[in-house]
Amino acid sequence: MRLFTQIGAYLLLMRRTFTRPEKHTVLYTQVMREIEKVGINSIVIVLVISIFVGAVITIQTNYNIENPLLPRYLIGVTVRDSLLLEFSSTMVALLLAGKVGSSIASELGMMRVTEQIDALEVMGVNPASLLILPKIIAAMFFFPILCLLSIGMGLLGGYLTCLLADVIPPSDYIYGIQYAFYPHYITYAMTKTVVYALIITSVSSFLGYYVEGGAVEVGKSSTRAVVHSCVLIILANLVLTETLLQ
Amino acid sequence: MIEVKHIFKKYEDTYVLNDVSAQFEQGKCNLIIGRSGSGKTVLLKSIVGLIDLDEGEIWYGNHLFSHMESRARQEIRQEMGMLFQGGALFDSLSVEENVMFPLNMLTGQSFREKLERVNFCLDRVRVSHSNRLYPSELSGGMRKRVAIARAIVLNPKYLFCDEPNSGLDPETGMVIDRLIKELTDEFQMTTIVNTHDMNSVLEIGDKVVYIHDGCKCWEGTREEVLHTDNKDLNNFVFATRLAKQIKG
Repeated sequence: MRLFTQIGAYLLLMRRTFTRPEKHTVLYTQVMREIEKVGINSIVIVLVISIFVGAVITIQTNYNIENPLLPRYLIGVTVRDSLLLEFSSTMVALLLAGKVGSSIASELGMMRVTEQIDALEVMGVNPASLLILPKIIAAMFFFPILCLLSIGMGLLGGYLTCLLADVIPPSDYIYGIQYAFYPHYITYAMTKTVVYALIITSVSSFLGYYVEGGAVEVGKSSTRAVVHSCVLIILANLVLTETLLQ
Repeated sequence: MIEVKHIFKKYEDTYVLNDVSAQFEQGKCNLIIGRSGSGKTVLLKSIVGLIDLDEGEIWYGNHLFSHMESRARQEIRQEMGMLFQGGALFDSLSVEENVMFPLNMLTGQSFREKLERVNFCLDRVRVSHSNRLYPSELSGGMRKRVAIARAIVLNPKYLFCDEPNSGLDPETGMVIDRLIKELTDEFQMTTIVNTHDMNSVLEIGDKVVYIHDGCKCWEGTREEVLHTDNKDLNNFVFATRLAKQIKG
């Protein structure tokens, strides 16, 4: 029963969030601020992790494909497809759920317990639209860019491993990452990323927005935001994979 | 004028507001007093619409606020200013941006006009030359003053203050009380102040409503507070041994 109440409250909050904003100039400013907070500030961590994951996938694939009948460029193919199909969308989304989701829930939770959200309400401003909508727009716009950067850095990580660790000749790797490339994989990765962005920002906002109590409850909501976002990302991954890769 | 009629609010099986009715007059400081946990804050938050009632009516002049759609409520809310217990200033905005915020959201004024109004309000609450500071850099008293400046920046008809001098020393608390009184007289606002501070009652209470266990037990003026024979109110007003001795 509590689950249905929560889903109902979430949908009502989303209805309030997606109403026409009071001022478009304010919305624009808020979106720019959020792009910096949820997007630009996450670039470094995404790039660092992606380059190492690209390198690790290259080494592990080489370790597992030791059959001389299999061409060496398959390592490039595997690295590319792993990054495109799973890592750069789903794994990066899980990473961002931890970084961005907890930050959104804590920010809104603190605003709630210090009555800043009530202050907005009394002023006649729609707090949901003012505070949550810019976060959702910023994430849906910037997370796909992070995904593309992650793919690029992962491929670079694999290339550097071939070059420096002598796993396979770099020319084979370059040939492999271009071999049998389906542009649909990019669309698939982008679609997943946009859905994940919506899940992370809206679920974390919901959990922060309705916090009651003090600092302890804000901390709990932040943890719950990460856990709930991660579980929903995994579920959405299953549904989207089944739907988009038929 | 604001009028509440027979309002009830229940949490689980406990009534926190039980058939409360009162009138809060324009141009006066109306005080809601009572012990901690008596239902003062729930009453104030119900009046501004932050808490939905189970039963009863809240009127702003001729408008039945408690039964309005949220869009219609927003129009009346733009005539309200509220000072929250902790100030509720936006941490990420400077003093100037905090006070300018309602103007940015709800008016179409130019930046110059908005800045003039912000500076006027900050001067009025005696917080000049602090425009660039952030809430974390302000003292408790300054935070309250900036919050008052933000509450009056749109020239509201209604001003609500939830424990305006909580956490302040008695002298600073009195300064804040006097400021609220001055602003009420100057702009002829309907002001409702929630407090349990007897200094505030005696200093600014044009009209006093006493709440006890969710019920309205008494109402009158600040002069009448001292001479009432209401037992609960007497216990509240003359809580200290010294006060009891003075009363005799």
